[in-house]
Amino acid sequence: MKSISLYVPGKTFIYKIDPITKLFYIAVAIIIPIVAPAQIVSYICLAVSLLIILFGKIIKKVLPIISFSAIILVTVVIIQGLFKLDNKTPMFSIGPLTFYKEGLSYALVICMRVFNILFAFSILVLTTKPSDLIESLVRKGLSPKIGYVLDSVLQIIPEMTATMSTITDAQRSRGLETEGKLSTRIKAFFPLIGPVVMNSLVATRERAMALEVRGFNSKREKSFLNEEFKSPYSRVLQWTLTLLLILTILWRILS
Amino acid sequence: MDIDPAFNLNDTLEDIIMNKIVVENLKYRYPLTEELALNDISFEVNEGEFIGIIGENLAGKSTLCQSLVGLVPHFYGGAYGGKVLIDGMEVLKSEISDIALKVGMVFQNPFTQVTGSKLTVYEEIAFGLENMGLERSEMIERIDYALSLLDIYKFKDRNPFDLSGGQMQRMAIAGIIAMKPEIIVLDEPTSQLDPQGSEEVFKAIQDLSHEGITVIMVEHKIEKIAKYSDRVMLMHKGSIVDFDTPKKIFSKDDLEKYGVIAPAFTRICKAFDVKDDNGLYPVTLDEAYDVVVNVNE
Amino acid sequence: MLMSRIDVNNLHFSYNKGDEILKGISLSIDKESTAIIGQNGAGKTTFVKLLKGLLKPDSGDIFIMGKDTKDTTAAELAKYIGLVFQNPNDQIFKNKVLDEVMFGPLNIGQDQAKAEESSMKALEMVGLKDLYDKNPYDLSLSERKLISIASIIAMETEIIIFDEPTIAQDYAGKEKIKGIIRQLMADGKLVLTIIHDMDFVAETFERVIVFQNGKPLLDGKTREVYSHEDVLYSAYLEPPHVTQLCKKLGYKDTFLTVEEFIASRRDINH
Repeated sequence: MKSISLYVPGKTFIYKIDPITKLFYIAVAIIIPIVAPAQIVSYICLAVSLLIILFGKIIKKVLPIISFSAIILVTVVIIQGLFKLDNKTPMFSIGPLTFYKEGLSYALVICMRVFNILFAFSILVLTTKPSDLIESLVRKGLSPKIGYVLDSVLQIIPEMTATMSTITDAQRSRGLETEGKLSTRIKAFFPLIGPVVMNSLVATRERAMALEVRGFNSKREKSFLNEEFKSPYSRVLQWTLTLLLILTILWRILS
Repeated sequence: MDIDPAFNLNDTLEDIIMNKIVVENLKYRYPLTEELALNDISFEVNEGEFIGIIGENLAGKSTLCQSLVGLVPHFYGGAYGGKVLIDGMEVLKSEISDIALKVGMVFQNPFTQVTGSKLTVYEEIAFGLENMGLERSEMIERIDYALSLLDIYKFKDRNPFDLSGGQMQRMAIAGIIAMKPEIIVLDEPTSQLDPQGSEEVFKAIQDLSHEGITVIMVEHKIEKIAKYSDRVMLMHKGSIVDFDTPKKIFSKDDLEKYGVIAPAFTRICKAFDVKDDNGLYPVTLDEAYDVVVNVNE
Repeated sequence: MLMSRIDVNNLHFSYNKGDEILKGISLSIDKESTAIIGQNGAGKTTFVKLLKGLLKPDSGDIFIMGKDTKDTTAAELAKYIGLVFQNPNDQIFKNKVLDEVMFGPLNIGQDQAKAEESSMKALEMVGLKDLYDKNPYDLSLSERKLISIASIIAMETEIIIFDEPTIAQDYAGKEKIKGIIRQLMADGKLVLTIIHDMDFVAETFERVIVFQNGKPLLDGKTREVYSHEDVLYSAYLEPPHVTQLCKKLGYKDTFLTVEEFIASRRDINH
């Protein structure tokens, strides 16, 4: 059974950096362009993320994410370019439609911000196993119980689909139609959702008991089977990123 | 040396050493119910014994099992009376996670015992050990031991959900065994398994028993209970009707009153009044064979 | 031309290409109550799902009461062949027992009055008539199992299949289910089951099909099948306990139940 994850296995330098450092990067890459008083910083962050993605060889996986958001962003460009309230400087026209500079600039800023966020998150999400990320957070102090919930949700939800198909079979066996027009499908909702919910509740309770007898609520400090994900420059990188953030904030204050 | 205040100072030294489990006047009622699920239960189990628990559904067998690991009363709440002492430690006054170091429990459904938070069988077994805060090297040693004992070492890198029912149940047992309890309680461990899976699990339980672990098992498969148990506890409506050797229990002639039936071999011998030298009916295939063959000679 | 109630011709099925689960099955089941036994993964559940029309054959045919399952939806076939699933929690969703039992009958075209009548009759057969207006969620697992059985009986299908009816049942529960199956047989229904309890099969069913590796390994009258001890062991199955003891004691006949053996010995002694 596959667990829910966007992780793609690989060996480039990105994979060798620990999850916490990548979280730092996301925070910094998003906050700096917002805080910095100059637009150019936005482009620099974007370029840095893009370089990391290229050198990390995950560009292929990022493209689908980009194309999907690009479709939505095109509509932003069109709407802002045509209809923004303070539009007064025309840039170009297509037939009867005029695109204005103010709107297009604004749309550009939005697009850059969105891509920035997407790139930064992609760097984390494509190169980090969810279980490694969660374990790093637990080591840093996240409650192990929350860590367990996050870890198990990713696997248990796909497992539930097996139960769902048994339930669907059981109700179809009793003459329930599940395909066809909308009204048919709506009628099929309760006979399907009822047992799904019941089964989940029962399973959750049984699982809670099984976890209890494996010491889940122990007050002892938890240890880890896996060795800590140590990456060579994590300290340096985290301090550098923090420093950049502080400098940007100072820059803004002084401007 | 600290003395656990839960120790009952009235026990003699002999009691404390010999009796792994002491249950005294245990009564329990689930929340929002009116009837007692357990009605004045008292018994003792010695180290290394294999105890089978039989009885009709709702006789209190599962509730009793859960009272040995602390799920009753700590997980449910409810009304509780009497004492359960595991190696001198009183269940009522202890945390489930501390009791878990002495008594492990395996449930009926292999699937809901999979934590779901681990991606390999190896890590799955580590779950309880991580909660115990063990050192890595100690964990690895225990996991290797548990995997071999349950004969699932070859699955160590597989996803826990990719196992058959019998394999999953053995993984659940391994996860408990790695915590090194001296007692293991199994509540109908094979009822959802196919014949091969059941055989695998019974063999594993037998191996555990040979390692010296005290086993308490609830089962409806009467022939298996008769084969493996040192003593059998017959429960009915929250009480213990009788607690004796398999032969003594299954030789009783009022079993049907309590919703149980003797093993097929015993029923045949009862019909023809074919007894062994002690005046009791045989309860396993081999015993029945021996006795019948002797009678015919 | 008289057709059997179930006709299977050269059935092949796989979930994934290249991994065939059912490898060319041909058989007919008409009057004899039949138990399908075998290891998990041998194809029993898949076979039953194909009979129910929940899956369609890759090649070959299945005819249920003369209808080709390839041309009929599962909901349509539900008029002729019912399946009691293993876990009652997989189907119960109403908060009144009678409503739950009436769900199937209403779906397959019984009108309100008829559905209520057949449901009450079914509840009576399983011994739960007095609980008809209770909430199923307030009842025990055993009672819910009986409700799920009643839900299918109420659909008055010619064929009823039980998927693991004896799991987690105690002695009394098993006897009750045995009684229900025998009543259905007496009413002329064709009863099939997938099951692991060999003693229960020996006491209740007339024909046994042993599945292994996607094909029937043995197929015949119960007594005949259980006499092939070696073949059964090779499929990781064992004969009923009585059969094992009698075989070991050297009896030539294959005995299926304790009662049968006792009766036969007593006859000899008279």
